[in-house]
Amino acid sequence: MSVTATPPDPMDIAPLCAETALRLLQHGAESALVESLTRRVGLALGAERVEVALMANAVTVTARIRGRSKTTVRRNEDRGINMHVVMEVQRLVLEAESGRIDRVVYRERLLAVQPLHHPRWLVAVMVGLSCACFARLNHADWAACGLVAVASGLAMVARQLLAHLHFSPLIVFGATAFVATSVTAIGFVYDFSQTPRVAMAASVLLLVPGYPLINSVSDMVKGYINPGISRGMFALLLSGATCTGIVAAMSLWKIWGWL
Amino acid sequence: MHGHRGGDEPVENLGVAVTLVLQLLEDMALAAVPAVGFGMLFNVPRSVLAYCALLGAVAHGLRFLLLRAGVPVEVGTLIAASAISFIGVWQARRLRAHPKVFTVAAVIPMIPGVPLFTMLITIQQIYQKGASEALLTQAINSGLRAFFVVAALAIGLAMPGLIYFRRRPVV
Repeated sequence: MSVTATPPDPMDIAPLCAETALRLLQHGAESALVESLTRRVGLALGAERVEVALMANAVTVTARIRGRSKTTVRRNEDRGINMHVVMEVQRLVLEAESGRIDRVVYRERLLAVQPLHHPRWLVAVMVGLSCACFARLNHADWAACGLVAVASGLAMVARQLLAHLHFSPLIVFGATAFVATSVTAIGFVYDFSQTPRVAMAASVLLLVPGYPLINSVSDMVKGYINPGISRGMFALLLSGATCTGIVAAMSLWKIWGWL
Repeated sequence: MHGHRGGDEPVENLGVAVTLVLQLLEDMALAAVPAVGFGMLFNVPRSVLAYCALLGAVAHGLRFLLLRAGVPVEVGTLIAASAISFIGVWQARRLRAHPKVFTVAAVIPMIPGVPLFTMLITIQQIYQKGASEALLTQAINSGLRAFFVVAALAIGLAMPGLIYFRRRPVV
């Protein structure tokens, strides 16, 4: 805690709390974590009370000190899941709580947190291998696993490219599913694998919205019903878009591998 | 006859055990790769990716054994997710990071992706061809399976908070 003669003004604390909440929410932290870290950092920096309200698209924070309070609303836009940011913000909050940094340093370091991204080609290769492993876990033969690795790797490259061009996530997921399903359709045309169906199913598993689904249930279990419902609905929408891409590819090539 | 069988049984049991261990190791290795792959997709820092791999392998291996023992899939998933979540909160203090940073990537290999998409594609088929008993059965069965396994994963991951930490923060 900063050693100052006068207590801090709520005007200084509330925006910092809001920024903390926003960083966490934008990068896929669950509601319970967002609320508790926001409250904890506010209290650590000298607020008497901090109230946080989370909505699907915005976050509201009120900080109260000596009868004066400040309320801020910040709009939230999804920046994609980034556990690195969540981890860095958590560590900053721990430092503030232990009193090693004051609010000026906290602000500086919070604004300096830059999302880390692994090299794109490496992610594409690893995602390809991941989906090949899913295929193998579902008893595909090695030829099918190889096909899945290529299909999912290419799909991941398409996904990164489309996301980079700022397309809506729904379009990104649909188009990616189309690419993956189209590539695995080769397994049905040429007779090199005994398990082309498993390959087609496994190749789109990079599009399962696992994190939003788990966050959704987790939010609802912990009492954050509204954020939970909106996350769950969005996960379902993404899955619907993926399904549209799969069906489009299957009807275009007339290969009904999923049925 | 009796003596012959008595002499052979330990050898057979040993063979079964070795096969089981090999299958278990294969299962764990195959689960570790997607845990790391999806960890990278979630931008888990490099230093923490090893935890994703390790916990992913442990979780999937544990569920493999439970399913072999005849435990229903959602119960096995719940137990496996709870187990790694408890390991996660223990390691989280040392890492000074919330356990969800690496435990979610670790349970990704257990996410029911194929049932989820099967449900949605079957619903699309019902719309296109009209409802038939086979399609309805498939849609309902795979949808329910996806729902219960996802719920088991999320509740399993929340288990340390629900049972042990309750209102205290984990990290």
